[in-house]
Amino acid sequence: MPANPRILGIETSCDETAIAILEVGKTLKIVKNLVSSQIPIHQKYGGVVPEVAARTHVAESVSLITEALGKKGMDAFDAIAVTSGPGLATALRVGIESARVLAMLSGKKIVGVNHLEGHLASAWLNASNRKKWKFPLLALIVSGGHTELVLMKDFCKYKIVGQTRDDAAGEAFDKTAKLVGLPYPGGPQIAKLASLGNPDAFPLPRPMMNDGSFDFSFSGLKTAVRIAWEPWSKMEDARAEQAKRDLAASVQTAIVDVLVEKTMRAAEKYKVNGVLVVGGVSANASLRERMEKAIKERLPKLAFLPSDRAYITDNAAMIAAAGYWRIKKGEKHDWRKLDARPEWNI
Amino acid sequence: MNFIVARMEDWDLAAKAVADRLSPGSILALSGPLGAGKTTFVQALARALGSKDKPRSPTFSLVRAYKTAHSAIKQLVHVDAYRIESEQDILPLGLEEYLEDPATVMAIEWPEQISAWLAGQTHVIRMQIEPDKGSDVRRIRIA
Ligand SMILES: Nc1ncnc2c1ncn2[C@@H]1O[C@H](COP(=O)(O)OP(=O)(O)OP(=O)(O)O)[C@@H](O)[C@H]1O
Ligand SMILES: [Mg+2]
Repeated sequence: MPANPRILGIETSCDETAIAILEVGKTLKIVKNLVSSQIPIHQKYGGVVPEVAARTHVAESVSLITEALGKKGMDAFDAIAVTSGPGLATALRVGIESARVLAMLSGKKIVGVNHLEGHLASAWLNASNRKKWKFPLLALIVSGGHTELVLMKDFCKYKIVGQTRDDAAGEAFDKTAKLVGLPYPGGPQIAKLASLGNPDAFPLPRPMMNDGSFDFSFSGLKTAVRIAWEPWSKMEDARAEQAKRDLAASVQTAIVDVLVEKTMRAAEKYKVNGVLVVGGVSANASLRERMEKAIKERLPKLAFLPSDRAYITDNAAMIAAAGYWRIKKGEKHDWRKLDARPEWNI
Repeated sequence: MNFIVARMEDWDLAAKAVADRLSPGSILALSGPLGAGKTTFVQALARALGSKDKPRSPTFSLVRAYKTAHSAIKQLVHVDAYRIESEQDILPLGLEEYLEDPATVMAIEWPEQISAWLAGQTHVIRMQIEPDKGSDVRRIRIA
């Protein structure tokens, strides 16, 4: 490996096909970062569509790889990092097969990366975060499919200290949004309405907030929101509109309350030096603000390490960064044996 | 068979009764609105089948398999078709492959999303969970 290795990142685990080239030296240089978002298709269908997703991944990954490598071809990178789990095998294999072919033809190193480790690395892409980066760290990974508190003892050394027992936080946003008639994806819609509503208007539960564990439970919010919304559901006047805003604000606050409280308690217990907040739901402004405020007030010595907005949603720069962590530890995989790991835990 | 679920423990009673009716290859089609308790029921079913795992919502992962410790049933496959809009989209989930295993049962949330596929299956047990208006109580109907 040269002094400033360039890692080719490939990500096809879920909605996005993404390809990136990351150069790691004294600073990080994101040489290429291509994401071919499939959100328009999903909006039309109201969710991720696996068969459509897999087929578009195939077409998109070929064109994105061609574009990323450019004239340099195989000389554009020194090693390959590809997401090998968790996710749907069919979608994962699209990226893995491309990566294997490139590894075979180029003779360069290849590592399989856990998508969640990629999310952790998304915070490391930010230069000011890297300056404050001192293990142990605590990471809150929050997305449509994940809600995990991860203790990071070192690069590549992690322990899940808490996670959801039912629905993920992003799922709670999406489904409560659906219950009050908002379109997909519900998270941003709830956030938008919430800014116009009163968060104390509807008394919603804060499940497991004080149970002493670092686990989460968000499925009960669906029942609470259904019951709260029932009297308003048939009305269409201005009062019902305001009730919808109030309910959105109450839902957002209920979810953020629990996320912040559990993160703070875990940060205290494990005596970490900083807190990462990563994954799709970390785009929620209220979550970012309230987490930052809680750290300032309660654990002021800790660094707040959110990922940049550009790297919150699925991207391949974060996969390349996590791949770099692995390669630096001496890890490499045999391209002949690399396969999808659909249920891979970090 | 009908059940009324008023307390959380009632899910276990319903799940035990359903577990007794399952045999390898059974597909449980779990209908009911958002938050009705489909996943909660599958968690109780996993317990009833002696699994050590506690299923989470598979809405995003789409399918998850759990080992069970039952005399005839060794695996519970938990599927959620909530995000599946078109029948062809279930092909990549490999549901048929799971069902080829001689000791597997499958529980499917939002089965209406894949009704054509289900119509082609044998051993389907249909179950409906309805929440009572304005309360926590659920009514379960098993055809
Ligand atoms: N009798 C009861 N009393 C109080 N809470 C209950 C009762 N029965 C179920 N619940 C709660 O209702 C919620 C049901 O959510 P669950 O995720 O299981 O529903 P679901 O049908 O799977 O929803 P989805 O359509 O999102 O998949 C759970 O939080 C559960 O604890
Ligand atoms: Mg469910």
